[in-house]
Amino acid sequence: MSHIGLISPILAQLNSGVVVVDDEYNVHYLNNFMERHASLQLSQVAGQSLFKVFADLPEAWLKRKLMSVLDLKTPAFSSWEQRQYIFKLPHLRPVTSGSQYMAQNCTMLPLQTDAAGQPLICILIEDATDAFVYHQHLSRTLVELEKANRQDGLTKVLNRRYWEEQLKQEIHRAQRYQHPLSLILFDLDKFKDLNDKYGHLGGDFVLIELAAFIGTLLRDSDLLGRYGGEEFGIILPDTPLSGAQEVAERICKAVADYPMLFNQQTIRTSLSMGVAEMHPKAHVLHDDLIRCADMALYSAKRAGRNRVCCFQFGETEYQKKVN
Amino acid sequence: MNGSFNEEQRDCLQEIINVAMGLASDKLARFLNTFVHLQVPSIALVGASHLPAEIETRYQDIEAAMVSQGFFGNEGLRGEAIVLYQMENAHKISALLGYEPGDVSEIEMLTDISSILTTTFLNGLAEQLDNSMSYSAPRILSSRNRDIAEVLTNTSFHWEHALKVDISYQLIDHSFNCDMVLLIPGEAVNHIKTILDRILEEY
Repeated sequence: MSHIGLISPILAQLNSGVVVVDDEYNVHYLNNFMERHASLQLSQVAGQSLFKVFADLPEAWLKRKLMSVLDLKTPAFSSWEQRQYIFKLPHLRPVTSGSQYMAQNCTMLPLQTDAAGQPLICILIEDATDAFVYHQHLSRTLVELEKANRQDGLTKVLNRRYWEEQLKQEIHRAQRYQHPLSLILFDLDKFKDLNDKYGHLGGDFVLIELAAFIGTLLRDSDLLGRYGGEEFGIILPDTPLSGAQEVAERICKAVADYPMLFNQQTIRTSLSMGVAEMHPKAHVLHDDLIRCADMALYSAKRAGRNRVCCFQFGETEYQKKVN
Repeated sequence: MNGSFNEEQRDCLQEIINVAMGLASDKLARFLNTFVHLQVPSIALVGASHLPAEIETRYQDIEAAMVSQGFFGNEGLRGEAIVLYQMENAHKISALLGYEPGDVSEIEMLTDISSILTTTFLNGLAEQLDNSMSYSAPRILSSRNRDIAEVLTNTSFHWEHALKVDISYQLIDHSFNCDMVLLIPGEAVNHIKTILDRILEEY
């Protein structure tokens, strides 16, 4: 058997599609792979327009690619990552993969024929369904991972790292567009006593319950995060001090009136809340704003807890020496 | 250029690259239907490990994209071509290629442009060397916010030499600059030298 004779059986066995078209996009050749997957016979479609034989082809797009192959005598490529498939074909793992059609990597090659002959283009179609499916799994996992990376494991509100990042961005945005921005920091009052009385599971239960409950009292744009043990923060974009104070008062009252049932016992708790509004000149860094809200929070504690205090300019560090 | 090529080899390579560039610009001009002016490309053979620092300086604080495409020919000629360009330039040439906005993804646009630039040039180069090239599909190594130098450090790690070809395409009404870097493994550089020596002998 000569080498030339080998080509035909190899093309028949090849697990990739081979389509040859001429410079008028008429089908010259299809290998068995294409015949089987597309349920066609070469003898029936030879000489017909590629776009008639495969009616689902993205015609304008593919013509432009094929034209560059003819004009430049260079290959053109298409990857499943940008275009899942060019030829709408079923694939070999319809059961175990989630996708319906064969994901494809395609190469369009100028065929070297004799100088006088009609220019031809060879389109190679490789099945990339496996890679496509793995990639889908990976994308889903990354989305979950990203979510987990933002969340506080216990309370499911934003974790401190992500919440602080958001605060930095919001400060930046508020300064750039000269919008108001407020921050609420709050503590669960006497959390240590709660832990002592109901155990750590009881304490955790209260944190989870309250975080979820407070979340329902906020607007979509407000960002609730867990700052530390029983300390939380709320970023309120586009909100001046008066608005933030209103939100804080509402939360403070709602939490005080919110009984939680744990092991057939009713737990009641309260919050001490500090509110501060960003002042573009005083709060260049997010730490500055946190410090002001923190000072207001300690004022609330010192004044007897279960209340809201707002940061007033002129307040200084020494007032913090409570609790 | 360092000592890897002697003076004759270097002149020969420069000449061949100039001709390849001329062939490429002629093809591009006809394909894009516009006048393409190519400056004489400056070429330099550098250690691949020195490349990232230079690129970093050049693409600092610029939105840039980097596309890689493997090539291999006969006689051990092989390597990886990397095209780097500024994103704002990419939009200009995409309009020239006839893309409608929203027609194709940005990534596809980038790989198409890079593939056309790379393969027209390397086909011309192969023609000069009585060779022919095959190519892998172009891949985006980085675009937008990724650090170009860092990605390049990881890429050029496997390569000993980099043939750096600075290309500047000037199209009527548009100017478009890009860097083309051919990363070439050590033994392939020796094969190039052999090929160059043969060409020099034939003259």
